[in-house]
Amino acid sequence: MTEDKLLAEMQGLRDRIAGITGTAVASRDGLIIRQDTGDVDPDNLAALTAAALALAQRMAREVGQGTLREAVTRSSGGYVAIYAIGAAAVLVLLGDEGLDIARLHRESRSAVEAIETLLA
Amino acid sequence: MCAAAGMQGVLRVTGNPGGAIHLTDGRVTAIETPGAPSPEVLLLRSQRVTEAGWDAAFAAAAASGHRMSAELIARQLVGSGELEALLRTALADAMFVLASGTVEDYRAEPGPVDVVLPLEPGAEPDELLAESSRRLRVVASLPVRSYRDQLVALADATWPGVGLGGVGFGGGQDEIMALADGRRNARDLAFALGRGVYATMLQLARMQQAGLLETAAPRVPGPARREAGRPAPGDQPQAAAWLPRRQRDLPASPRRARIPSLALELRAPLGLLRPRSDRHADSGETS
Repeated sequence: MTEDKLLAEMQGLRDRIAGITGTAVASRDGLIIRQDTGDVDPDNLAALTAAALALAQRMAREVGQGTLREAVTRSSGGYVAIYAIGAAAVLVLLGDEGLDIARLHRESRSAVEAIETLLA
Repeated sequence: MCAAAGMQGVLRVTGNPGGAIHLTDGRVTAIETPGAPSPEVLLLRSQRVTEAGWDAAFAAAAASGHRMSAELIARQLVGSGELEALLRTALADAMFVLASGTVEDYRAEPGPVDVVLPLEPGAEPDELLAESSRRLRVVASLPVRSYRDQLVALADATWPGVGLGGVGFGGGQDEIMALADGRRNARDLAFALGRGVYATMLQLARMQQAGLLETAAPRVPGPARREAGRPAPGDQPQAAAWLPRRQRDLPASPRRARIPSLALELRAPLGLLRPRSDRHADSGETS
């Protein structure tokens, strides 16, 4: 039931923010919890997401820039945005070139909090 | 009228999808919106320009201070006529998408315009708005009326004579059939294919009318008015499933009544970037 609400929250993000092509929630050790990734392999994505989050958090600490807000990879064909969900999980959003970054920034924090509540 | 005004700046439109309209000398040179592919996406995704070619031109333009358009043309990556046509197409498409959506707020920021591929000289705002209105009227008669409707390919779809035994559908339809998985709407497909949203909607409508695609059932229940009286997915026999039921459930008249006003919503914000005397002339005042 919680998982259905989790999936609904993730799909809601895709509906609200133009350009999101997929979403996934994974554990910090890289195992998929819930996926809505379309053509992208969710298991590989989960593993890479967990590793990328850990690396980005270490980077933020190393350079003394405070708490990591998000880790973004921008490529010629789109975006990958990664957010920590509490201490135990991670949210990854995939977007195309037209991803609405402004709306993503506005909505990501509340989405992270909603997902954290669902996972608690 | 606007062309003579000489206004320069950015009009930031908040809404869904919202975007930024760039004006130079009162003409629209570029529109950035999450709702429509930019010229860069159109060039790269359609593979008219290679990524390596684009990157090299971008680096050279940044280093030399030359325009990106001049670099692309000088490197023979795209012809000047082709590039201008593509920039005009992208502008008309972006304006159509802005006019299709909602405008919550807008803010004019006079100042220098800094975009990668501006159309120079730009397009007349009034002409862009008129074209958007025309397109909105066309789209109102289509089964795919919103670029947000998600489409799914029908597994047993056959065009008369094609689509069977490994024969392709042709005309770029195979790509759409492969991508229409019920997750993508017309906007998403346009980005994936590197085509305009409007052109994609027209093609999707043809394919929907031919029984190749159907509008996917919404996953999450939307606002009550859209869902009223709608049967649950799977309740209907498959043969009728491709029919655009979602649109038919909508009361027709309020939607039609709204269409002319959508493009007008952008007319007022665009007026902000005109000089005062121009605005007076528009409103019939004499000063």
